[in-house]
Amino acid sequence: MEGWDPNTKSTLTQIPLLSTRAGPRDGAAWTQRLKEEYRALIAYTGMNKSNDNDWFRISATNPEGTHWSGKCWYVHNLRKYEFDLQFDIPVTYPATSPEIELPQLDGKTHKMYRGGKICLTVHFKPLWAKNWFGIAHGLCLGLAPWLAAEIPILVDSGAVKHKDDEVIASTTTTE
Amino acid sequence: MDAELLELQRQFETAQNVKSSIRLSERNVVELVQKLQELKFIEFDLLHTVSGKEYITPDQLRIEMQMEINKSGRISLIDLSDVIGVDLYHIEKQANLILNDDLGMMLVRGEIMSQFYWNNIAEEINEKLQECSQIAIAELAAQLQVASELILSILEPRLGTIVKGRLEGGQLYTPAYVTRINAMVCGAVRGITVPSNLSTVWNSLQNLLQELNGTNSVSVESFMFQSQFNSLLKEGKVLGSARAGIQWTPTIFAHAQIESVESFFSQNSFITYDFLHKLAIPQPKQYLQSRFPDGIPLDNAFIHPSTVEMLDVAIEDAIENGNWIDSLSVLPTHLVSEDIAKILPHCPTVQMALKSSKAVVFGDSCIFSTKSIIEMFDKLEKELETLNHTFLTIQLKSSDLRQPKDHAAGDKADEFYESKSAGGDSGSGKNHLQKSSKKKRGKATISGKAATAETDPDIQENISSKTKRNRRKGKDTGSADNSEPKSGAKKGSSKEKEGTINIPSEEWVLQHILSLFPDLEGLGGSKDLHEVPRHLACHLRPMLMNSWKKKRDSILLESADQRRQLLESLQKQLDEAFLNFQLYAKALDIFEDEPSLSNVLHKHLLKTFATSIVDRLIRNLDTDNKLMNGIDVEDPSYVEQKTLCSADRVSMAKGLSGPLSIKAQVLVDSLQDKKVDSFINALRGVAEERGLALKKLDKKTERTLLHLYRKDLTSQVSSETDPVAFLPRVVGLLYLQVYNKALQAPGRSISAAVCRLKDKVADYTFEILTDYHTATVSLLALLSASTEDEEDCTSDRIVSKRELLETKMAELKDLILKTADS
Repeated sequence: MEGWDPNTKSTLTQIPLLSTRAGPRDGAAWTQRLKEEYRALIAYTGMNKSNDNDWFRISATNPEGTHWSGKCWYVHNLRKYEFDLQFDIPVTYPATSPEIELPQLDGKTHKMYRGGKICLTVHFKPLWAKNWFGIAHGLCLGLAPWLAAEIPILVDSGAVKHKDDEVIASTTTTE
Repeated sequence: MDAELLELQRQFETAQNVKSSIRLSERNVVELVQKLQELKFIEFDLLHTVSGKEYITPDQLRIEMQMEINKSGRISLIDLSDVIGVDLYHIEKQANLILNDDLGMMLVRGEIMSQFYWNNIAEEINEKLQECSQIAIAELAAQLQVASELILSILEPRLGTIVKGRLEGGQLYTPAYVTRINAMVCGAVRGITVPSNLSTVWNSLQNLLQELNGTNSVSVESFMFQSQFNSLLKEGKVLGSARAGIQWTPTIFAHAQIESVESFFSQNSFITYDFLHKLAIPQPKQYLQSRFPDGIPLDNAFIHPSTVEMLDVAIEDAIENGNWIDSLSVLPTHLVSEDIAKILPHCPTVQMALKSSKAVVFGDSCIFSTKSIIEMFDKLEKELETLNHTFLTIQLKSSDLRQPKDHAAGDKADEFYESKSAGGDSGSGKNHLQKSSKKKRGKATISGKAATAETDPDIQENISSKTKRNRRKGKDTGSADNSEPKSGAKKGSSKEKEGTINIPSEEWVLQHILSLFPDLEGLGGSKDLHEVPRHLACHLRPMLMNSWKKKRDSILLESADQRRQLLESLQKQLDEAFLNFQLYAKALDIFEDEPSLSNVLHKHLLKTFATSIVDRLIRNLDTDNKLMNGIDVEDPSYVEQKTLCSADRVSMAKGLSGPLSIKAQVLVDSLQDKKVDSFINALRGVAEERGLALKKLDKKTERTLLHLYRKDLTSQVSSETDPVAFLPRVVGLLYLQVYNKALQAPGRSISAAVCRLKDKVADYTFEILTDYHTATVSLLALLSASTEDEEDCTSDRIVSKRELLETKMAELKDLILKTADS
């Protein structure tokens, strides 16, 4: 945790840790893990809202809880940039962290793998391996820093445009 | 699906759907405010706080500043900035507005102070003042950390109201304390009865206050006392005068001063300036002159005229009775000699006496009448005459010592006489001696008369000089000191002139005055008991010296006259003798061809005429030397004519002074020479040294002298009766007739002279002369032989020879006289 900023550290310590080590194919144990995952996500979301720092909204798309989708956003220069968010739970989970995908930004930055999967920092994997982290922790340590790092660059370079700007442009075209 | 799992899903959805709380960041708020200002929703100015997290309006700032100022009444602008949290610029701007609205406020060196604050401070100062009675403004300034001037400006309008006290010279005093100081000053000043320095009084009062109040009290400065004193003086509570604000003279002292001066002066008729100095009167002379106009101011005292009158009466009495008086015995003892010297001019009797030369003042205070001085002078003169008499006695003794010498000289003179007779000296010398002796006798009588005549004007001069001297002393009474160095100089010069024993010294005169008049010792006010006698001695000694000097001058004058007469007579004698000598010297030229005869003749002339000249010259020079040196000579008009022996001649020559002695010795030595030329040169040297002139023998004078010589010789030949003496005269006469020269031949050279006449005279005359010569020689031989044998018949032969010579002499006489007549 040496390289992380104090705010992130403080936030991380408040997210409850998970205790069941089970994957999607483990039946009842997976159900227990899903319960723990939901409790962690609920705590993390409440925390963000109380701090006026709410930045994502996700839910499981299937009853097994192996596919998640939703939206995330980032405020830059008093403007809100929103992106679609999805990820699958690998069968080796929690040994392997899930790969978060932003399909809208596919091909727009070098920090992405093919298919819109974000490329995380080299510090993330060892950290994930040593601790009892879950989906909430992955979002906090993985996606949030990525957004904070990449979105300002993408906005400045023009790869990402705000919807208001797009509206103005279309209006002009109309005129 | 598990029910719990579904429930958790629903809870998660609910949690995500909850509205998040709105949390604005600083930037958002700042942007909001800026937006509001841009949209003119906020029309007034907003001020940022120092932290940058708050906004404040100017009105709110002012309200807060007012509250802070009202808390304590005094606050620094910097402190306001810290407390309110607004920049100092805005604080200062609002402070100026507050000060403009409220005139009671003041801004002093960055601090706002309100009247409320100062009123509180004044009350505190008053409380403290009432406790301590005095507070220093500087101390208050240090406590409040403001300038002294500010405190003074604050306190002055509040004195008497809030602060009940008095402000004096940087100190605050309570009225009670001031009253106490005033009482102390009044008491101290009233208690002074002599003039005092107020600084000393203030110092003593300060010390007293220190003792009373202990070491903690603040010392009161002198100006506090001085101001209190000045106010007391104006109010008239203390009487007196203060000069230069420091010297205080109370009126009581002035009164006592005047009373003591007046009482002393009226009782004693005099008062000294020291007395007035003790009474602190700075200029006593002016003070006394203004108060007693008729008094007489002196250097050290002030006297009443009655004292002067009393002294004047005493002095008048002393002068009329021919006495002396010491002013100190009459005047008060406090007066000193200088003052008495100043009093005497105020005595009319003294002034009259001095003008008329009836009195003299000695030692500034002793007055001697002229009568008493004359009496003293007479007595001292007698003493001096006694001294001179003793001196004359000594001279007589010294003259007695000379008698053996005279006796010896007499014996030698007799020998000289015998040698003259043996040598056949001519009679002209005797005649000359007789003439000179006659002249000297006459001169002696004349000088005696002159001496007696000269004494009379001396006496008159003495009398007149006395009167003159008295007048001079009268003039010099005011400057006795000035005359002393002059008299000293005179003494020195007179001592140089007078090198003799018989002049009395000042000590001698002083001792004799004290022995004759013992009362004079101790006179005068000085410590020296002999001062007045010494002054008297100084006064009388010139008189004595003058009288003695006049006597000595008369003697010297006589001696000078005697010297002049001596030199004149010497000149005459020398002229006569030297001319004759030259006449005889010329005769020697005849015999130049015969050296032996010439030597004999030269020696004879040196032994006879030259020796007489030298003896006379040396004796006269010796007498002259003695007269010049002041040695008394018994009878200088008579110089002995006896011939001196060789030793005496040499000693007298050596006794002469200086180069004259050397030349005289040369002259004496020349008598032993073989030629008369050296004698003539030596004689000329001595004559030049003494200023005598030697006359040269010219033709005219020679002819005159030869004529006189011829007559004299002829008369001698005709009157001569001695057959032996007759021969050289005849030979001389013959030479005079033949060679026209004056020959002086001794016995031995007669034969040679006669032989030289062989060719010059007649044969008959020559034969007779030769025979006479032979007979004379025979007679002389018989005379010399007669002394040996008494029993022979020499007497008969002598008689027969004498008769023969007499007959021949008659013949020769007749012959020579005939020739002379022709």
